[in-house]
Amino acid sequence: MSSILEARSMSKKVELGKNNYLNILKGVNLEIEEGEFVSVMGPSGSGKSTLLYNISGMDRITAGSVKFKGREIGRLKEEELAKLRLRHMGFIFQDIHLLKNLSLIDNVMFPALVSKDANKKVVYQKAKKLLDMTEIAQLADNHITQGSGGQLQRVAICRALINDPDILFGDEPTGALDSKSAAKIMSILAEINKNGTTIMLVTHDAKVAAKTDRVLFMVDGNIVAQKKMSKYDAQHDDGKDREESIMKWLVENRF
Amino acid sequence: MFIKMVKNDFYRKKIITGTVFIFITLAVLLGASAINNIANLIQSMSELQEHAMPADITQMHSGEYDQEEIDQFTKEHREHIGMQETMVLLNFDGSHIHYGNNNTMAGTVQDISFVVQNNKFDFILDLDNEKLDVQEGFVAVPIYFMEQYDLKIGDPITVKNGEYQKAFIISDYARDYEMNSSFTSSKRFVINKQDYDEMRREQAGELEYLIEFKLTENGDVNAVQTAYFEAGLPANGPTIGGTIFLLFNAMSDTAIAMVIILISILLIIIAALCIRLTFLATIDEDLREIGVMKAIGISKKDIKKVYLNKYRVMAAAGGIIGYLLSFAVVNLFNGNMRLYIASDLSGNLKYVLSLVAPLVVYIMIVMYCRHVLKKIDKISAVEALRSDIMERRKNRKYSFPLLKNKFFSTNLYMGVRDVWKRFGLYRLLFFIFIVCTFIAILPLNIYNTMNSPEFSTYMGIGKSDMRIDLRRTDTITDDFEKLQKELENDPEIEKHAASITSSYQVKNTEGSWDYIYIETGDFSVFPLNYLEGSAPEDEGEIALSFANAQEDGLNKNVGDKIAVKVGGTEKTLKVSGIYQDITNGGKTAKADNSLEVNQDAVLWYIVSMDVSPEADIHEKMKYYQNAYESAQVNDIEEYTRQTLGNIIDQMSVIVLGAIAIAFIIAVLITALFLRMLLSKDMSQIAIMRSVGLTSKHIQNQYMAGTLMVLLFGIIVGVLASNYLGESLVSMALSTMGASKIELVIVAWQTWLLFPLALIAVVWFTIFVCCNVSAEDDLSIVMRS
Ligand SMILES: Nc1ncnc2c1ncn2[C@@H]1O[C@H](COP(=O)(O)OP(=O)(O)OP(=O)(O)O)[C@@H](O)[C@H]1O
Ligand SMILES: [Mg+2]
Repeated sequence: MSSILEARSMSKKVELGKNNYLNILKGVNLEIEEGEFVSVMGPSGSGKSTLLYNISGMDRITAGSVKFKGREIGRLKEEELAKLRLRHMGFIFQDIHLLKNLSLIDNVMFPALVSKDANKKVVYQKAKKLLDMTEIAQLADNHITQGSGGQLQRVAICRALINDPDILFGDEPTGALDSKSAAKIMSILAEINKNGTTIMLVTHDAKVAAKTDRVLFMVDGNIVAQKKMSKYDAQHDDGKDREESIMKWLVENRF
Repeated sequence: MFIKMVKNDFYRKKIITGTVFIFITLAVLLGASAINNIANLIQSMSELQEHAMPADITQMHSGEYDQEEIDQFTKEHREHIGMQETMVLLNFDGSHIHYGNNNTMAGTVQDISFVVQNNKFDFILDLDNEKLDVQEGFVAVPIYFMEQYDLKIGDPITVKNGEYQKAFIISDYARDYEMNSSFTSSKRFVINKQDYDEMRREQAGELEYLIEFKLTENGDVNAVQTAYFEAGLPANGPTIGGTIFLLFNAMSDTAIAMVIILISILLIIIAALCIRLTFLATIDEDLREIGVMKAIGISKKDIKKVYLNKYRVMAAAGGIIGYLLSFAVVNLFNGNMRLYIASDLSGNLKYVLSLVAPLVVYIMIVMYCRHVLKKIDKISAVEALRSDIMERRKNRKYSFPLLKNKFFSTNLYMGVRDVWKRFGLYRLLFFIFIVCTFIAILPLNIYNTMNSPEFSTYMGIGKSDMRIDLRRTDTITDDFEKLQKELENDPEIEKHAASITSSYQVKNTEGSWDYIYIETGDFSVFPLNYLEGSAPEDEGEIALSFANAQEDGLNKNVGDKIAVKVGGTEKTLKVSGIYQDITNGGKTAKADNSLEVNQDAVLWYIVSMDVSPEADIHEKMKYYQNAYESAQVNDIEEYTRQTLGNIIDQMSVIVLGAIAIAFIIAVLITALFLRMLLSKDMSQIAIMRSVGLTSKHIQNQYMAGTLMVLLFGIIVGVLASNYLGESLVSMALSTMGASKIELVIVAWQTWLLFPLALIAVVWFTIFVCCNVSAEDDLSIVMRS
């Protein structure tokens, strides 16, 4: 299998004030295989989100290198990065972040319609299918103020998928949801991953991490440990055992 | 703690706070400047009057003259007349006055006269409003000519008349209360008594008398005027009342000031709109914040205090800065006033009066805040915390779905639909673009109207190629006959019509007799547009100018009867029509040839003519000018141009100034508006970028929305200045005698050039402002 993302000595330094710098990422090395489902855990402030945003090219790293499908993205121009996000990456956030003045289905279609050669009919059909899959088709024409957090997060997932990305990034997408909605989201993500989309999630929740293939653990700007697991099988596994083993692993490592 | 909270707030919301602050300052600045301008005008007008002491009645006369008769008359009417003085004018034709490199003042419609300063009243002043005291060999030249011919102090001027020649050096500007304006057709050059006596001895110019009266406090102008005529005293020229001078000054100076004030008022409206705009932009955030405060248990009273204090501090600071700056800025607006009315605008009135501006703005803002706070009373803490109170309220049906878009790219469509979705915000920008267009186009329309041949309609004359004016000289009657005969036989003159203006007495609304100028002749050759009715064609018909027909004139309608004294006998005439006329104070009349001419009181003769297409009109003009030296020969456009004189020049300055102001405002406000919008939309922009839009895409969205607003703003603005402007101008000019102005609209300027220029400027502004910084880390906005 080939790697979709490859980070070497990736560092992020931010300027807090004059001559006052903060090293958030301190030379992270990380490789993510195509089709993998990776989660990142770690204490608050350890740099999980920073890792996600920098490895995806949304932010710019200050040292080291990041390759997306073998292409160095650290030095790409803004337009090229935007194109990369548009065509090859999807993002979901804890704060959902939908566009205010668009209906749910328009939010989903928007990234596809931006391309000049978009075929509206095809885009519409695809959006419908995604909304069907996430079981919110009946809300399609609603305004975003008329949906619950869980429903809106599903809209965000549909939006992230509309252009068939190679990789989906999520920064605690279930962080603000109740456990039932969170479980729903996770089963959708598992489904997506099964269909071939690579996923990288940041989470606090062992229950979420339990449903991924590999758990990375970050402390103070570095990945200090990782746990590889077998592919999660939602049909025959409620994930309880995997969750327990992750908890045990965390305790063993005194995290 | 409140001060700390206010300070924190300033710091956190720099852009929004800065914008509100700038607008407050701007509103105060403009308001104070406008008031300042008016205060200056009032004060310096009265100051000028005080120094110049203009006459209350001025009777012009040429020919036989005996001062003793006048002295006798003055003595007999002591209860009315305070002072009398006769100024003897030495009149020259423009071609006799040489300046610069062999230039002459030939072709001016103004009568040029050389005079010595009066002793008692009607003084001609220098730019410091001091009585002119001209030394031998020097001359003080009227401001009108200094501007018209671009003369400087120290330049030489030579008077040449036949053999006689005399050189002067310009030592001063002559500010002449009575004859400043281009609407008074005479201009007075002031020289030393010695030089004057020499010129008079040499019979260098034509003599004309200004018999001037300054009345006592309770003196009655009409009584003196009537008595004067009844006494049969010299009066073969026009009589001018003091109010006319005020009117003329009002026309050229106040009219300009009014335009500027109008612009200032529009600017204040803009500033007020902007303040509203910023409130709209901040209200979401403010409400959320207030919700937080409510939620953590701060009392309503304290919340209000924090919120109000913030805007109070801003309003006070902006008020003070705007007020102080206005004293510098006002100098941009009052150049004309400084020249014609007062150089020293140091009166104290303006300091007090313009305080009104910051006070009004302060009160406005505090009231608006209270209004907003009332809304806060009604919403709960939870509601306030759920964002977007303003936008969520309208639970309208979803409109403009993305798939409905057939014509635009998705990004342009997003921009256009954003305007619709948030019209509350864009509406203000829309108004501002309308006002900007209006500010620029209306003066342009006025300028084009004044410059067009159609303007003769408002001067009570029909359209002809050329006209010859014969004025008070000894040979006037003979010249007139000769001229008519010559025109009759000139094959290159297609048609011509002569008219004679003389003064008659007419019965006014109170039943007493007033003097009126009536022009008699054949008015069918060069027809004039009548407001109502038609030209006098039959015996016993008369047409009145609009000002004469109005209520405060003779109060007549078409068909009414009017009593006129002709050569001692009373005649009843019927009003056949009403026309517009802004010349001669607006009060004129026209009658058919059958009305006998008042031979003793003939004022001037006019012959209008059309030149055949083969002939060269300029050659014709030259020929008749040489043949009739005392005549004034003009083509119609030149005639209107010169009568309007520096109004046209000033108007052109105003047009340029207005366009500049319009552009500056459009740029400034577009920039501020966008910065505010961008900071308000920060998270939405970040979301769009996170799904893969480039900053260019986002720029295009804002570009599309804003330019669409601009386009509609321009259309409405141009329509408003064409139609609403027309009634505004008509209203303003109806006091001067023209009540129905039809603006001449030069389509390529109003519909093409200006819009394109404005669009280009705004486009560039958007381009610069919308440079969404692409280099910053995108995640900053996206993190929780
Ligand atoms: N742009 C920035 N400027 C200054 N400090 C920053 C910036 N971005 C992140 N940090 C700091 O870097 C550290 C790591 O931040 P990050 O958001 O990556 O942590 P995290 O692991 O995601 O934490 P959490 O679990 O709370 O989300 C934090 O201490 C944060 O305050
Ligand atoms: Mg985080």
